[in-house]
Amino acid sequence: MSRPFEDIQILDLTWEFGRYVGRLFGDLGARVTRIEPPGGLPDRRASTSPVAIEREPAVYEFEFLNAGKASVTLELSSPEGREACAALMREAQVILLERGGPFYDELQWVRAQAPSAVVTSVSPFGRTGPWAEAPATDLTLQSAGGIAWLSGRLADGPLRLPGLQATMITGVYAATATSLALYDTLATGRGHEVDVSAQECIAHSLQNSIQMWDFERRVSMRGGEGTRDASEDMFSCRDGLIFLAAPRSLGVSWNALVSWIQETGHASAQELAKERWADRVWRLTGEAKAIFRQTLESFTQCYTKEQLTQEALRRKIVMGPVATVADVLDDPQLRHRDYFQQVELALAGARVSFPGAPYRLSEPVWRLRPAGSEQPQPA
Amino acid sequence: MKPDFLKGVRFTDLTWAGAGPFGTKVFSDFGAEVLKIESATRLDSVRTAGPFKDGVVGLNRSGYFASRNTGKKSISLNLKSEEGKRIVRELVAQSDVVSNNFGPGAMDRFGFDYEALREIKPDIIYLSMPMYGQDGPRADLLGVGMTISAVTSIMWQTAYGTGDPVGPGTHYPDHAANPYHAAFAVLAALAHRRKTGRGMKIDLSQVESTINFVGPAVIEASSTGREPPQIGNRSRSHAPHNIFRARGDDRWVAIAITDNAQWRALATIIGRADLRDDTSLATAAGRLASLDRVEQAVAGWCATHAPEEIVTALRAHGIAVSEVAHSRALIEADPQLAHRGYWQHVQHPEIGAVLLNSPPYLIDGERVELEPPPLLGQHTREVLGGLLGLSGTQLDELNEQGVFS
Repeated sequence: MSRPFEDIQILDLTWEFGRYVGRLFGDLGARVTRIEPPGGLPDRRASTSPVAIEREPAVYEFEFLNAGKASVTLELSSPEGREACAALMREAQVILLERGGPFYDELQWVRAQAPSAVVTSVSPFGRTGPWAEAPATDLTLQSAGGIAWLSGRLADGPLRLPGLQATMITGVYAATATSLALYDTLATGRGHEVDVSAQECIAHSLQNSIQMWDFERRVSMRGGEGTRDASEDMFSCRDGLIFLAAPRSLGVSWNALVSWIQETGHASAQELAKERWADRVWRLTGEAKAIFRQTLESFTQCYTKEQLTQEALRRKIVMGPVATVADVLDDPQLRHRDYFQQVELALAGARVSFPGAPYRLSEPVWRLRPAGSEQPQPA
Repeated sequence: MKPDFLKGVRFTDLTWAGAGPFGTKVFSDFGAEVLKIESATRLDSVRTAGPFKDGVVGLNRSGYFASRNTGKKSISLNLKSEEGKRIVRELVAQSDVVSNNFGPGAMDRFGFDYEALREIKPDIIYLSMPMYGQDGPRADLLGVGMTISAVTSIMWQTAYGTGDPVGPGTHYPDHAANPYHAAFAVLAALAHRRKTGRGMKIDLSQVESTINFVGPAVIEASSTGREPPQIGNRSRSHAPHNIFRARGDDRWVAIAITDNAQWRALATIIGRADLRDDTSLATAAGRLASLDRVEQAVAGWCATHAPEEIVTALRAHGIAVSEVAHSRALIEADPQLAHRGYWQHVQHPEIGAVLLNSPPYLIDGERVELEPPPLLGQHTREVLGGLLGLSGTQLDELNEQGVFS
């Protein structure tokens, strides 16, 4: 069975923000090879550190982002190692570089080895500009890109998104740009140079806040302060939290919710029947939010997440459980669809449930293999 | 540059709202012809979502819509009419990709299921992206982007600390995971078709796609049997590592110390030689054990300094630091984005200049220049006349029958 990228060789020299790129290509058939110095690139070193606090969560990130990739160790400071790497570059259709990793500062030399390849460079701020060398991490990039500003409570300061979202956002944009360039390269033979800035990727993912400033001179505030309806939030129930969205613009959801509460005869129905809930502007106020929370939770606390989810399904209310990570592993829909892959991991140990494909393809071309499951030798 | 990488690729694009159109925009920005099928009687909800130019509501005035639909062609078709559906099938017959993000079963009800369209165009690439997948006990759950954050644990994990979740402030999965996983899958399918001559169906469950964005946490929970900690802006491996209030009105800086030398430099900068020389704080483990003490010292110093001073002082010592930028700061005051020509204005026939983000990369050293988003139905006659060969009279008749409404 032919796979989309099975004749594509990718040399992967990324170690942080660029790692998801090779992962996505590898799952669809590309032969992805990490080149690492003795002792490994920084992500491997952290994952194998004897110090527990350095190892977690690095080891899980390593397993996730490097699945399907082979790894070759080369002493790149020696002429032999460099020549071995150059030989691999000459065979590659895609070369992935990252700031702080091997050959990032030798772009022209890399392109000379592989003039018909796509060379994608991933860095915090891009190759050019006053901040091209500025140090950065996930936290500072989520801040510099504007996404940390948008989450959190007004009183408590900005809040970043969890895990390694700078890596994930940058990864999908960089993979897409690389694939676009490769599509052209394979048709025309012309190589391309792609310069991906993580800050720009994050700033590209800010919902409508750029246009909000451009058109209305309003700075979008964290938590949707001033723009989010009283109903669009998490509410407590008997065994956790549910997320509801029932603004007047989602009239079906609001009406179904209010009808259900009325049917049960619960006292909160009287409040929600009041005329003021038809006022979209008032619903944005702190007063409305406080009243709605108190009213709704007096109702939702009579039910479990599962019961509320079943009613949401039955009545077309836009409402679902706020899942913990353990809940995700136990999600009945995902179980029904046989979503998780069971794999043995080299570094994270035991047989684990690994996220399944981000997309299901009618041709059986997506395949998951653990990180480092092959060790091809350099040519 | 106006890339022609995808010249000759045509989409019949039925996506609407946020995630779907953001994904197909990738293709129109790179030279594909994306035929956006929409309808005045069942509007793309983003056309009616603000912000609007000058605050004036109008179907062609939404900045949000503009940012998701650059370079597409709009064909207004009422899909409740048999003629409307027939025209879609004729467009599909001449397309490479057909895309939708309707709920389960909606395409079948139109008669646009994969098997039916494959009969019309055997090598069609068919992208479907419902929220929770096409089948299963929760397939019909209704949701918005935040619902996807909720059921994938992103909402739970976006927390200041243990048991204090607040969730992302945006419909985050709509703006990265789902449009770009979808675009990557379609590009892979195009590559596959070029080699094999075969199309394929892409069934992207937005929940399944988004779980990959928290993949490491899922692996950890499965491996250890424990819930990963809710750490907010902190780090499990390094300290100090947080967002601190700086001098000024609602101004904040992110500081991330990642080794012990950086810590010593920071302690010196903030005038705390006592902490720098405290051996109990010499390692990350030691600082994590005394987190309150360490963070209070940094917070106290930040509160009396402007963000610019903090960034300049720390960056000079190799410390990762940034002001927490908001939209206005990114647009008007970010020297890096300005230097790289990140912002571009596109001229729109009804609302004039619209500020847009460029695709977030340079290709061969150049920016991708964006084309304006379409007016509702702007290209109906042009495309149906040109591609389907309908005469002016036929188009007038269809219009009178309400097919373009």
